[in-house]
Amino acid sequence: MDYSKEPHGVFFLIDNKSFYASVEATMRGLNPLKELLVVMSEADNTNGGLVLATSPMAKKLFHLQANVSRQRNLPQDPRLIVVPPRMNLYIKRNLQINSIFREFAAECDVWPYSIDESIIDMTKSWRLFGDSPREVARLIQKTVRHRLGLYTTVGIGDNPVQAKIALDIYAKHDPELMGEIHYETVPEKIWTIENMTDVWSIAKRTEKRLKSLGIHNMRELALSNPFYLKEKLGLIGEQIFAIAWGIDRTRLADNITPKSHSIGNSQVLPRDYFDKKEIETVIKEMGQQVASRLRHHHKQAGCLYLSVTYSYSARAEGERGGFSIADNLNPTDSDQDISELLIYLFESQWQGQPVRNLAVYSSKLITKTAQQLDFFTPVKQQFQKEDKLAIIDEIRSKYGFHSLVYANSLLKGGTAIHRATLVGGHNGGNAYE
Amino acid sequence: MSSDNDFRIIISRIETYFIRRRDTEYYLQVVNDKYDETYNFFFNISPRGKRVHSIPLHTVEDYRLLYLEKLINKIFEKYQFSIKYDGFVGLRWPLSQELIQKRRHKDE
Repeated sequence: MDYSKEPHGVFFLIDNKSFYASVEATMRGLNPLKELLVVMSEADNTNGGLVLATSPMAKKLFHLQANVSRQRNLPQDPRLIVVPPRMNLYIKRNLQINSIFREFAAECDVWPYSIDESIIDMTKSWRLFGDSPREVARLIQKTVRHRLGLYTTVGIGDNPVQAKIALDIYAKHDPELMGEIHYETVPEKIWTIENMTDVWSIAKRTEKRLKSLGIHNMRELALSNPFYLKEKLGLIGEQIFAIAWGIDRTRLADNITPKSHSIGNSQVLPRDYFDKKEIETVIKEMGQQVASRLRHHHKQAGCLYLSVTYSYSARAEGERGGFSIADNLNPTDSDQDISELLIYLFESQWQGQPVRNLAVYSSKLITKTAQQLDFFTPVKQQFQKEDKLAIIDEIRSKYGFHSLVYANSLLKGGTAIHRATLVGGHNGGNAYE
Repeated sequence: MSSDNDFRIIISRIETYFIRRRDTEYYLQVVNDKYDETYNFFFNISPRGKRVHSIPLHTVEDYRLLYLEKLINKIFEKYQFSIKYDGFVGLRWPLSQELIQKRRHKDE
């Protein structure tokens, strides 16, 4: 393989070891690696408790996984500390960590990837801080540990995908919390990965499709025919073939403009909803929330999408798991228009099944430049309706969502008031801190 | 934030969580957070033989031991929870001159 024409750089992918759990440990003056601690969300819709993060020691001792373990899988052990999530605190820490990274690379070379991962393009700056990329990575780890008490794991590669795989596969199990992949070491580092789902971007479905083509590990993937892969899997086939060879031609600085935007919300209900009125209350609330977000972005939606998932018990009885339905409408950002269509969509499909998940998305967005009037309503009334929504938005942006809610949110089943206090669906933390 | 305000928030949150269940140990944890330069208050609920719940009460931003001592004395007038101190090894209370934390905990 001739890699000479591929982009060569120095990329770090840095992630925080058990981020939420580690932040909570440092707040309590404890060592993140020694402590037995789980961050557990006990919100209404988690069915008793959902483990969001687990400290490394707790993972080892109790065989826990983050994000999938339920409260019922947690042992009742007095050594185990359970803490509620504080999303606002984790966001603050993430910003602090990224500002440390910006001491090591230019602002435009630090790319936050998720709440606890960042990609750093060190190509231009690593020589300022040490004799080898590994030495610089060590220095970054030490700086973060010293200033914030947190441990970081670093994947090092010649391009972002090598760094990501080095992080996921090697750094997490390395005593120094570092992993390295370069073009020369691709065969020994990537091809030896037996379990393909360990590799970034390959999940169960892709694995299944690859297996049906007779590809069972990364070596077989790398040595397969790329044209055949493309024919069978499409673009994804080409992509994962490149990954198997450690090739990534991404230029992080390129500005990607998505073909189309969409604005939407989804939620898991706190319990199974049977009553049509209750379900429609929540759908209306979600419609209002989406409408309000549309107005905030000065957009109007030309298409609405509603997805309803039935409760686990209904699915177990052999019914289909739910339905998704979309319909077009005249571009709008009004609470009422959007709610009305959603209710119509819901009633056209629902046949009395218990519901647990709801999602509402708006698409075919256009920028709102003026108000579209229609012939059938008096003009004055249309203006008033528009002004009313503008005032509601203004009051909410000034005094918070709670300050003004539709009375239907107070009905049994409404979730909007409670959810307004959440960050990313979880407890944001104490308000007066 | 004024001393009154810190006191008021801590007490009101203790009131919410202190529900006097039997066979349950309740205690306060005060952490000297050297990274943020704050004192972090937690309310720990430890039912016998079960998992400990550790609930964040408040973060005191006034990073002076004298202030903390006065605040804790005030809390003590209302609630006599035992307090676990972390991150205070070698430090003494400015008023009483007692050691705050005798020895380092094993998981600090």
